[in-house]
Amino acid sequence: MKTYTEDKKLTVVADDMMLTKDMPTTAGSKMLDGYMSLFDSEALARLKDAGYTVAAKAAVGEFAIDLLGETNFKGAPASDGHIKNQAAEMILSGDASAAVCLDVNGAVRRAAAQSGLVSVKPTYGTVSRFGTIPAACSGETVSVLACDAEDCGRILDLIAGHDDKDGTSLPAELIAKTNEAATVRKVAVLASMKKGIGADVCEKLDAAVAVLKANGVEVDEIDDSVISASRPAWNALMSAELCNNVSRYDGVKYGYRAESFTNIDELYTNSRTEAFGELLKTAIIFGSETLSTENYMKIYDKCLRVRRVISEAFGKLFETYDAVLMPATSSMSYTEAEVKENKFIAFEENYYTAPASITGLPAIVAGGVQLVGRAFSEKALLEAAKKYEKEGK
Amino acid sequence: MDREILRRLELLNQLSLTEQEKESVIAFFSDREKDLETLDAIDTADVERMVHVMPIMTVVREDKVSQIFSREELQAAAPETDEGYWCVPKVME
Repeated sequence: MKTYTEDKKLTVVADDMMLTKDMPTTAGSKMLDGYMSLFDSEALARLKDAGYTVAAKAAVGEFAIDLLGETNFKGAPASDGHIKNQAAEMILSGDASAAVCLDVNGAVRRAAAQSGLVSVKPTYGTVSRFGTIPAACSGETVSVLACDAEDCGRILDLIAGHDDKDGTSLPAELIAKTNEAATVRKVAVLASMKKGIGADVCEKLDAAVAVLKANGVEVDEIDDSVISASRPAWNALMSAELCNNVSRYDGVKYGYRAESFTNIDELYTNSRTEAFGELLKTAIIFGSETLSTENYMKIYDKCLRVRRVISEAFGKLFETYDAVLMPATSSMSYTEAEVKENKFIAFEENYYTAPASITGLPAIVAGGVQLVGRAFSEKALLEAAKKYEKEGK
Repeated sequence: MDREILRRLELLNQLSLTEQEKESVIAFFSDREKDLETLDAIDTADVERMVHVMPIMTVVREDKVSQIFSREELQAAAPETDEGYWCVPKVME
């Protein structure tokens, strides 16, 4: 169901990981408070060229590594003690027909699952990352959040395509594969990915399975425990990349600068210490330790090899199945109390989103659950999601 | 994770954690021990590293200017400038 009126069809919002030349971009961090980019991110530029308006920026958690945006330096939206994602709230209130976001650690997919919206995280490299704030470059993907699968597809068609300005942008002939007609006929539900989910998520999963079956899709529950290793491997890789990417923020050339310092080291340290939040600081320390001489082979190198094992496990599954159905979250809402109690909950809750992040595979969230498919199968996944997307409302 | 290693990592990353943050980080690392066991249980002896998730080779493109910004535009985000120069804090002792 559309939440917007027809006059808002060409209006989108962008999350605060996307550079905008006429609005500040902060990446949810005090470090970039007030920062103005000189150019728009490529995805937004393409939408503007197609006649769209970027009406506003939606707040994100610091460098988009948290659950839904709760680590934003200005605080996160919440309602009745439950954390909300601002991009999702803007769509639900009818301010825009869609949001263009950077999916770093699954926040966009969790927002879609918990707010009854639909999101598409396309195959890595099909949408340019030029003009996004880099966090975990090897897995982060410009994604779309919208009311339904139809709107997700409409926006994705406009932003996908090769971009010379992005070194990880795939060749046009590979991206063109996303337009090849395909149908999801056989779906696997991974038993290992149901671990830890609440009754509310279980209900959504069962509802999606029932609708798929009613539409002639064959659904099997199978076991594949290797894919559940995505979370620890992604946490290490994401933190290592994040540690490098945020090393540029030192308070000298741009960004937040501490007022009190007596030498250059104190300037760096005080600026970073005062501007960065606790989750980011922990990720930096973790990433740095992962890349240390002592741990490089033991952890970082190991995770890169585990990434291949996981990719090959998916490849094996896709010899039999067209897609894999799994939860996107453990519950249909997060309370402020939960996050207060466990500051690192995002590094656990990404159990459900890390498989698609670490492999670069496309993932559609609809009906409160996630469908992961072969590379370039976005269209087939969106068509399948249309069958059960209303189950998430 | 012990406090000595943590102090070294703080210095390397130009951070100064509060006592409460240090305790949280140590607890975080303690939780990650189980994750290491999960990773170690996967046999990767004959597996190649996977740096790029898609078939991306080192990209070389023509050195063409595509975006031009004026000095004023480029310096707009700087904390301090003076007659076209970036002003940085004193870096020499």
